Amino acid sequence: MNDKRKDKWKIEGKEFDSRLMIGSALYPSPEIMKNTIQASGAEIVTVALRRQSEGDKGNNPFWDIIKELGVTVLPNTAGCHTAKEAITTAMMAREVFDTNWIKLEVIGNQYNLQPDPFALIEATKVLIDEGFRVLPYMTDDLVLAQRLADTGCTTLMPWGSPIGSGRGLMNPYTLKVIRKQFPDLQLIVDAGIGKPSDAIEAMELGFDGVLLNSAVALAQDPMMMGEAFKHAVYAGRLSYRAGVMQTRDMASPSTPTVGTPFWHQFK
Amino acid sequence: MITISINGEMKDIEEGLNIKELLSKLDYGTTWGAVAINATFVSLKEYETTIIKDRDTIDILSPVQGG
Repeated sequence: MNDKRKDKWKIEGKEFDSRLMIGSALYPSPEIMKNTIQASGAEIVTVALRRQSEGDKGNNPFWDIIKELGVTVLPNTAGCHTAKEAITTAMMAREVFDTNWIKLEVIGNQYNLQPDPFALIEATKVLIDEGFRVLPYMTDDLVLAQRLADTGCTTLMPWGSPIGSGRGLMNPYTLKVIRKQFPDLQLIVDAGIGKPSDAIEAMELGFDGVLLNSAVALAQDPMMMGEAFKHAVYAGRLSYRAGVMQTRDMASPSTPTVGTPFWHQFK
Repeated sequence: MITISINGEMKDIEEGLNIKELLSKLDYGTTWGAVAINATFVSLKEYETTIIKDRDTIDILSPVQGG
């Protein structure tokens, strides 16, 4: 690989080769989860916390696999509906996973799992004061992005479309504006990605990374899809860096017109 | 005896137990778990000094798959 194509990604103080972040849920089996994460090349994996069963004695095969993979874990606050719930979950996650990174989710609507912007800001303020690095899952709202940046977030994760919907980027315009307005923040499209071409689109908009789960876990062949996303994110990033040509209304021949042979001479 | 809710189930336990003693009695692992009482986080270093009270709601969480 030539030097121009080297493209380390620095986010929240850590450096990575892959710009694909992947979820650990919904896979047909723990083995497929493990193989898919490896095939995707993702170095950041999202995890969650749920009630432990009585008599568990701390056995946790899932967590053993994640540790074995040696990835950076990004705990989430999935399922929280208030700032207080999210703050408590984040505190618990920091102790369990030994990280101050938190994917902050505060759900405001059960139908489309849309984040609650007000509770998100409230929780973000508290968690940043507590020393967390907050990666907020948010709607693609420009003013919300500004408020979160003002609060101290250096990474923002607007949705492409609702979680698990696979609808891709519903509103590329708003994502593009957020990119333009916050050139120095790390921006990740989180949620709604359904297929590799959606990831390419996000990366071509200049987003720094993509976070997805259902798109690989629910594919017919999760491992193959993990690999497809690995290449898509890489291709999208290269495309963005290479600079896409300007679109034109008129056709323009790509083959030289000089020296065009005989069939034009009688016109 | 006092009555508490632990991970959503009501339980009668002896009075005066701290968190460490409670987890040990109920066979919950503390290696990869974290505790909240009445929706407020309790850190590992507070386990021995936090006494469980009647009607407390205790959540013990551990790592699971997440998106």
